[in-house]
Amino acid sequence: MNVADTQVTRIERSTIDRARKWARANLVNGTANTVLTLVSVTLAAYLIYTLTRFVFVGADWEVVDVNRRLIFLGRYPKEEQWRIWPPMWMVMGLGGLSYGMLSRGSLRDLAWLGAAVVFILAFLATTTNGLLFGGGVLVSIAAYGLGRLSIGRPLLRSKLRLVTIVGWFLVIPFAIILITGFGGVKPALWGGLLLNVLLAAIGIGVGLPLGILLALSRASSLPLLKGFATSIIEITRGGPLIAWLFIARFVLPAFIPDAFETDPIVNSMIVVSLFTGAYVAEIVRGGLQAVDRGQVEAADALGLGTFNVTVFIVLPQAIRAVIPALVSQMIALWKDTTLFAFLGFTDALSGGQAAYNQAAFKGSQIEVLVFVALLFWAVAFGMSRLSQRFERVLGIGVR
Amino acid sequence: MTDNAIQNSSSDTGHTGGASDAPTGSSGNLIISCKDVTVSFGDFQALKGISADVYEGEVVVIFGPSGSGKSTFIRTINRLEEHDGGTIIVDGIELNDDIGNLDQIRSEVGMVFQQFNLFPHLSVLRNITLAPQKVRKMGREESETLAMELLERVGIPEQADKFPSQLSGGQQQRVAIARALAMQPKIMLFDEPTSALDPEMIKEVLDVMGELARSGMTMMIVTHEMGFAREVADRFLFFDEGEVVEEGTPEHFFTNPQEDRTKLFLSQIL
Ligand SMILES: Nc1ncnc2c1ncn2[C@@H]1O[C@H](COP(=O)(O)OP(=O)(O)OP(=O)(O)O)[C@@H](O)[C@H]1O
Ligand SMILES: [Mg+2]
Repeated sequence: MNVADTQVTRIERSTIDRARKWARANLVNGTANTVLTLVSVTLAAYLIYTLTRFVFVGADWEVVDVNRRLIFLGRYPKEEQWRIWPPMWMVMGLGGLSYGMLSRGSLRDLAWLGAAVVFILAFLATTTNGLLFGGGVLVSIAAYGLGRLSIGRPLLRSKLRLVTIVGWFLVIPFAIILITGFGGVKPALWGGLLLNVLLAAIGIGVGLPLGILLALSRASSLPLLKGFATSIIEITRGGPLIAWLFIARFVLPAFIPDAFETDPIVNSMIVVSLFTGAYVAEIVRGGLQAVDRGQVEAADALGLGTFNVTVFIVLPQAIRAVIPALVSQMIALWKDTTLFAFLGFTDALSGGQAAYNQAAFKGSQIEVLVFVALLFWAVAFGMSRLSQRFERVLGIGVR
Repeated sequence: MTDNAIQNSSSDTGHTGGASDAPTGSSGNLIISCKDVTVSFGDFQALKGISADVYEGEVVVIFGPSGSGKSTFIRTINRLEEHDGGTIIVDGIELNDDIGNLDQIRSEVGMVFQQFNLFPHLSVLRNITLAPQKVRKMGREESETLAMELLERVGIPEQADKFPSQLSGGQQQRVAIARALAMQPKIMLFDEPTSALDPEMIKEVLDVMGELARSGMTMMIVTHEMGFAREVADRFLFFDEGEVVEEGTPEHFFTNPQEDRTKLFLSQIL
């Protein structure tokens, strides 16, 4: 009893001490730093105040409320909406599971999770979809719990790891089959945030493996393969994404025989994947160069052979070294999906623009843009957090 | 095997000049045979015609000044460097451009590096089981049993689930030895296995190597641990400027070195 009590006070005291020490070391050491701290605290307080005031007092959220469908789904037909939920639940479940498995077991997670749930529910609970979404959130939390449970249980963990990896591999094909298949919705009708998400998912899902293959080809000693990969990478990187999109949309169809003509959005997806692949290839090439020569020698000396050396020794280390850069690329792609508006597709941003251009909602740009910005930020932030986790867990062997 | 040293010391003549066609008293079969091997890096010739034979079960120690080509030579034997002249025959197979089964030869020749070169992203156990699984097509359980036996043998079974970065240098080098042994090689090559280690860790690695030598493994070791070398080696090769300057038993080198360069070098390191 006594021992426990003193331990508690000791921990409390040490926490406070540590906070005080941290503050002294980082915030108020020296005049310049103290001034900087004061200025930034004032600025932050002012920003938070005006933003909060705007959100709860100044803003009229009706425009977002009424046009929610437009922003989230664009012209996607209402009666086919059910097709979106299963993949979405799958993503939420996998996201929760991954996050839980990668967690360090700190309370901070729960705070984040709680905040996210409250925040999202606040936007969605009022509609019929609120229930479906809420269900997804519950799935996500349950999966997170399961992931946390697996920490320190190797058997469960190895099984869950398999489920997670296979799940992430299957989720994009699953979503596309369910949305387009069985008399589903043509890509031309995809819209809103759904369009952004699918474009980014396909860009990542195809671009990442493509980029790795391109990087390996460029590093290969076969001149033909090397030249081929190098030219694809350099040509693709030579133009801005928007230019390639225009070419795919308006120039290519003139040269492709009618029989091969595809949906314009499919063409654009191919372009996005290629574009992402080229950048990923250069990032991964940097990683390949960072792998110590001794690693390949040791693996060669074991007689592992080129394929095994590449797959089990070189690539894992190369990719690990460049995860931050890869994630930046993914986040850039996520935001670049708004460029599709220029091709005449209605994504979340252009859907929002359509909303505030309605006569009934003149002058409500700020509300709409803040909301759309928040949506983009939330996804980008989620990607960033998940990757930080991933990095930390992978970091075990390196250092 | 242990009496090789005694046999050798009785024929303690120590021929010079590098040509060593004659066996040095070992009774085993010829397993590595090098004749006039040259290796160049651009215009620079790192090996200028090395001839050396190693018999099954023999322990050969190579030493010499920095830059004399010791590493280059030992790396040429499993073709981490390619030679541009002379012949190398390992376990009956000549090393040249046409060999399709380079990886098979490499899997018969274990190698331990100065910098350990463990795979940092894999656990200790996985470092050891990877090659047996992928190359020898060994099952998971079998390879893990083998790995644990080997970790037992090098004295660190309790480290199996750790990652290389969590081990001391000496422990890492012992894992590297276990990793090489897991392929059940016929020959083990060591390139200065203890020179990246703190003094207090050198002994634990040398002990493992000594045990390996006594078990009858054919070994080629580049080292400057002369006390250890004298104990385990059947034969010394002294390298300088890409040539074998002098060759003979440990006793020959310690009591009666012939060449001036050998004498000078030994006086510096002993
Ligand atoms: N990849 C390479 N490219 C160019 N020169 C090299 C290369 N590897 C080795 N050399 C040169 O070949 C010579 C022999 O090098 P090697 O590493 O075999 O020497 P060593 O006897 O092992 O020396 P140390 O005791 O310092 O390890 C040196 O002059 C070195 O600079
Ligand atoms: Mg060397």
